[in-house]
Amino acid sequence: MATFSSANPWIAILKGLWVSIRHFFGNLGLFLRGRQDFAIHFPEQRLVQPPALRGMPVLAQMADGKERCVACGLCEWACPTSCITIYPAETADEVERYPEIFDIDMSRCMFCGLCEEACPEEAIIMSRQIEIASYSRRGSLWHKADLLVPVNQLKTRTDYLRRNYER
Amino acid sequence: MLDPERKNPAVPIEGNPAAALEELHTPPMRLQFGPSHPATHGTVKITLDLEGEQVVWSDVEVGYLHRGFEKECETGYYYQNIPYTDRLNYSSPILNNTGYCMAVEKLFGIATPERCNYIRVIGCELSRMADHMLCIGASAMELAAFTPMLYLIEGRELILDMVDSLCGARVTTNFVRIGGVSADMPANFADFARPRLDRALKLFEDADKLLTENPVFRQRMEGTGYLSREDLVAWGVTGPMLRAGGEPYDVRKVHPYLVYGELDFDVPVGEHSDNFDRYLVRLEEFRQSRRLILQCLEGIPDGPVDADDPRVRWPGKGRVFNRMEELIDQFKLVTEGGMPPAGEVYHAVEAANGELGFYIVSDGTGKPWKCRCRAPSFSNMSPLSKMITGGQLADVVPTFGMINMIGGECDR
Amino acid sequence: MSAEKPEEKAPAAPELSPLLEKVLARLGDRVLAHRTARGDDRIHVARERILEVVRILRDDPELNFDLLLDVTAIDYFGQPDDFETKLQVWDRNRATMRRLPQRRHELALPPRGSEPRFAVVYHLTSTRLAHRLRIKCRVPEDDPKLASVTPVWPAANWLERETWDLYGIVFDGHPDLRRIYLYEEFVGHPLRKDYAKHGEQPIQEYVGPGAKEPRRPH
Ligand code: SF4
Ligand code: SF4
Repeated sequence: MATFSSANPWIAILKGLWVSIRHFFGNLGLFLRGRQDFAIHFPEQRLVQPPALRGMPVLAQMADGKERCVACGLCEWACPTSCITIYPAETADEVERYPEIFDIDMSRCMFCGLCEEACPEEAIIMSRQIEIASYSRRGSLWHKADLLVPVNQLKTRTDYLRRNYER
Repeated sequence: MLDPERKNPAVPIEGNPAAALEELHTPPMRLQFGPSHPATHGTVKITLDLEGEQVVWSDVEVGYLHRGFEKECETGYYYQNIPYTDRLNYSSPILNNTGYCMAVEKLFGIATPERCNYIRVIGCELSRMADHMLCIGASAMELAAFTPMLYLIEGRELILDMVDSLCGARVTTNFVRIGGVSADMPANFADFARPRLDRALKLFEDADKLLTENPVFRQRMEGTGYLSREDLVAWGVTGPMLRAGGEPYDVRKVHPYLVYGELDFDVPVGEHSDNFDRYLVRLEEFRQSRRLILQCLEGIPDGPVDADDPRVRWPGKGRVFNRMEELIDQFKLVTEGGMPPAGEVYHAVEAANGELGFYIVSDGTGKPWKCRCRAPSFSNMSPLSKMITGGQLADVVPTFGMINMIGGECDR
Repeated sequence: MSAEKPEEKAPAAPELSPLLEKVLARLGDRVLAHRTARGDDRIHVARERILEVVRILRDDPELNFDLLLDVTAIDYFGQPDDFETKLQVWDRNRATMRRLPQRRHELALPPRGSEPRFAVVYHLTSTRLAHRLRIKCRVPEDDPKLASVTPVWPAANWLERETWDLYGIVFDGHPDLRRIYLYEEFVGHPLRKDYAKHGEQPIQEYVGPGAKEPRRPH
């Protein structure tokens, strides 16, 4: 473990100063050589997130503009904070059911991803969207129309998930 | 044994305190330390009676972050409680996930596959590293050493990057599942992790160089917060605090779980049982955790990451989409939860602050009848009053810092 | 589901784990019942003898339970026993390939027995011998009292305060039995099963300094 130069605490202080000076000049040198990533200037620059990132849950929208969800209610059931509300309705389509109302209360959602894991249709997917601040509480209630995202925009996440599908 | 060179921590007040008080004609001053004090990294109220600078009486009040974790658990299915465990010790969430899931697995009698165990160990040790970095950094900052905090936070970010690539979140991990983990490691995880671990270690060494020999830091840490080994055990203290008192009790060694029995690591013990030794033990545990991760990255076998147990582990989506039986299974498991046999289990893991135990009583339905979390911070906090009474006011801060009370876990 | 009684099975002679053997030899008839399940050993003792039992467990060099890990309670609200009957029902249902009982009322359980409502649970371990033991004491609802183990382990101080706070079990001889998580004016004990999860508490009037001053308009 540590060796203590108790005879002369000044030496210890100088050693510590040397560490911080080394950091200072190291960083300065990197800066002069053009390293820019000391700070991410947020709205202009974005952090590079791993493919595993769980952002807010969104609904997958298929090419014909309809949602893939069949209103089975599993995500509603699995959600620990009960922040999903679904009103199912019937349609003449092949799937026969669709959610008339699909609301997620983002002020209660904790981005846990259990809804995505429960969904038997790959219809609710954790997107890469994490900026969901709103000016009012009502603004954090997301309705179906806001939640729909075209499937091809969710490709990173679905590719990540499909890795695990055949387990 | 206390080193004679170190100053005696618990200097008793000379003679009879009451008589001394009468002589001075100054009533003790009552000081409220907290609930939100800038020099404590936790929401706790410490009421102190001060005689000059000396603490003559103290009372510690916790509970400002009580959220009813146990009540909440009783109303959720077993799988729904995993995200709640993230919020116990929020600086090392994967450890809590693992503790809870292993307790439920014990209830079911599930053995997880080898690869899953290795991934869990990697996650646990990453969490432990992050927790120790935060603890040392925050404690140093409370003693006015700000630079190490910056280095350690930078190192912690690197570790959280690894956690992030494992499970998609930095703090609210929700990583471990009953009978497996939520996802396998990314393919290039070892190459991703090694340079980051090296860089984190370098930053850690720099913080070590700044702190360990610094005379100011040492004077505030050495000899303060002393509690004898017998007292530590009697007060139910575990983790780095107990080991700093010379008692090598580490759940990873005593009751090996996951693959800790096969891995090679040392359990550092201190001898003075003061704050400085607690700090040194944490320093060394950080290095041991890194060693463990490197061993795991080296030795991780191929294979499945999920136990093949249809009672509890949700079927793979590939089968859910295409086959009727698995679809029904998915519906049953989500709407009923996995139903363990009735009975009760206690399972403990070594969390960053001590023994984290989960005591689960099942009545045979999909929801726990009782889910008790034995939180290390709670037991470690209980002797705080004893440790600070009789000492100086300034010693409260390093003692509290080295207990590393995490409000979410202590108050649940 | 028919309300048939679970058939009386003669309990198979339980195998004693090495630890339980030692504990039983030392404690004798102070142990009311014992069980080893899933690698955990537990004993049941009468609440009058808890202090006596834990003293022996701590001081005996063969047992040496010096570290008290946890004190908590279980509320067996309306449940007949420690779910042991339920385990038998579960096994029987599984054996006959019936659908597993999903909801609590579907279980054919005997009527609520004479067992007291609460159980106080202690988890002990030994730092030197590395074994764990669980002690359970049944405590009735109308007289939820138990001797405090604070004289044996000071660690019990906060843990018993927590158990009092959340379950309302009184520990006799505790030096400072206050609520620890909740405030003193809190009504009821929230971890009891008859406390609603969304139960509301009466609003407490603030009576401290400045209470009568008008609030700043917002
Ligand atoms: S991410 Fe979690 S909390 Fe949010 S909607 Fe899905 S299940 Fe509910
Ligand atoms: S689980 Fe999937 S398909 Fe079912 S309601 Fe939720 S989003 Fe729709």
